[in-house]
Amino acid sequence: MAVPALVGMVVGLGLIATDDVRVVRTWAPLWRVWMTVGVGLSVVAAVVVAAGSHQRQLVARQRRELADRDWQTAEAVRGAVAAARHQLDSEARAKHLTFLSRLDHELKNPVTAIRAAAAAMRDVGVNTEPVAVIDAQSVRIATLVSDLRKLSDLETGPIEVAPVALAPLLADVAAVVRDELALQLQDRQIVVDLPTVPWRVPDVAGDVDLLFLAVYNLVTNSVKYSAPGGSITVRAWEDSGGVLLEVADTGQGIPADEVASVWDELQRCSNARGLPGSGLGLPLVRSIVERHGGRVQLSSILGAGTSVRVWLPLATAARRGY
Amino acid sequence: MDGAPPLRQRLLLVDDEDAITSMLAPFFERAGLDVVVARDGAQGLAAHDRHHPDVVVADVMMPVMDGREMVRRLRERHVWTPVILLTRLGDAAERAVAIDEGADDYVNKPFDPHELLSRVRAALRRQVVGREPLATAQVLVSGTLRLNRSLHQVTVDGREVSLTPRAVLLLDYLMTHPGEPHTREHLLSVLWGFSFPTSTRAVDQRVAELRRVLSDDPAAPCYVETVAGSGYRFCGDVVRG
Repeated sequence: MAVPALVGMVVGLGLIATDDVRVVRTWAPLWRVWMTVGVGLSVVAAVVVAAGSHQRQLVARQRRELADRDWQTAEAVRGAVAAARHQLDSEARAKHLTFLSRLDHELKNPVTAIRAAAAAMRDVGVNTEPVAVIDAQSVRIATLVSDLRKLSDLETGPIEVAPVALAPLLADVAAVVRDELALQLQDRQIVVDLPTVPWRVPDVAGDVDLLFLAVYNLVTNSVKYSAPGGSITVRAWEDSGGVLLEVADTGQGIPADEVASVWDELQRCSNARGLPGSGLGLPLVRSIVERHGGRVQLSSILGAGTSVRVWLPLATAARRGY
Repeated sequence: MDGAPPLRQRLLLVDDEDAITSMLAPFFERAGLDVVVARDGAQGLAAHDRHHPDVVVADVMMPVMDGREMVRRLRERHVWTPVILLTRLGDAAERAVAIDEGADDYVNKPFDPHELLSRVRAALRRQVVGREPLATAQVLVSGTLRLNRSLHQVTVDGREVSLTPRAVLLLDYLMTHPGEPHTREHLLSVLWGFSFPTSTRAVDQRVAELRRVLSDDPAAPCYVETVAGSGYRFCGDVVRG
């Protein structure tokens, strides 16, 4: 569109430069018409281009706004779904805890009566095998009730949070397990492996008694499910503003389709049914870790071994960039 | 039971579960105690007035009047008979309130009857007839050590010292039961309301904290003494402050 105006300008300069009056007289009126049309067309073209550009900007802005609105809507939907899911989980958990509390309440009196009856029979000299069985089994139910109660208490009861140094804690767990399970260890090796370079594993924030209990449960599980001569390794390293602690063993492993349910209460793996246990050890570990704001993860290969990883927050804010 | 020899000490057993009282009553009788049974807190108060027991064992959850209300009413009337409450397992708040309201001790249901009997015997040994028990005191003093039980505040020589809440709970229990040896398992249930699979570390660590903060030498203790092979005992004299 600007071409006619440019041509007009070139012709105009030619007219100014020429000395021939006839040429000027002939071409000047035509040049004026040409220039008027050319400039007019250029202006129109400029207006059209500007309007087009403005329109495109408007459309782009509207698209951006729509996209923003879509994103906000999607975020809101995602948030609402997550909140609804969380609420459902919380409600299901609360119902579950209420159920455990009722179960505990309903079991404690009959179990107390059975234990008192067994004690009364032994007192009057009835020390037969059936009495021993009644006594032992009532103790077993009492322990189960106690463990169920422990689980619900851990989710609601107060915990003491202070910096916990992992090196002495893990060394204590290994020492206690070696001491308590001396007969069952049978050449199983328990190794605690903590890095000291470039720095030692930092303290985690937690309740030292509960963390001890969680790691103790993991290590005794590893001993229980590994064969004589097997290895159990306890490792920990700094990871994403926390500490990742791993208890790994060369034990019998867990069937792949049962790995997801190991954290459920009273769940026992199909290849563990011949071994003593209540199915409450790992749920207890999970409860303890989640009370600390941590996470648990288990991976296992049948016949090769199992690794349980526990992530716990640091006692102090992360000191380094990641 | 009224015709029993006068030297036998009398136990009032209050529980609404017949299956429990019908087994426990003969168990306590064989252990040398006279036993009176009541089915709820109101009957328990009436039986207390009539039989003047030396010790009371009461369930917490009962119809008509629960065990805690019964203890409160006894203490309002300045009756200081030691009371052992049968509390719900693990409920730390319930245990703390029970002690605050004047119970002397508690045993979690379901319990080993022999453990309950040892608590009963300890309460009978501790009891000084007509004197308010240490369990009802707000402040306990042993030498320069002073424990304000409601404020959970501990001072030594007038200076406040800093202890973890669980160490204060342990000190409270030890000071209200001075001279009595306690197994680590029992002290663990005091701290946590349930037993751990391992019974040493949690209690040992809190005792170590108490000794460090109170500057108590384990070789020549003024406060917490190790009982060889079993647990701990508070060895200082304790008086109401």
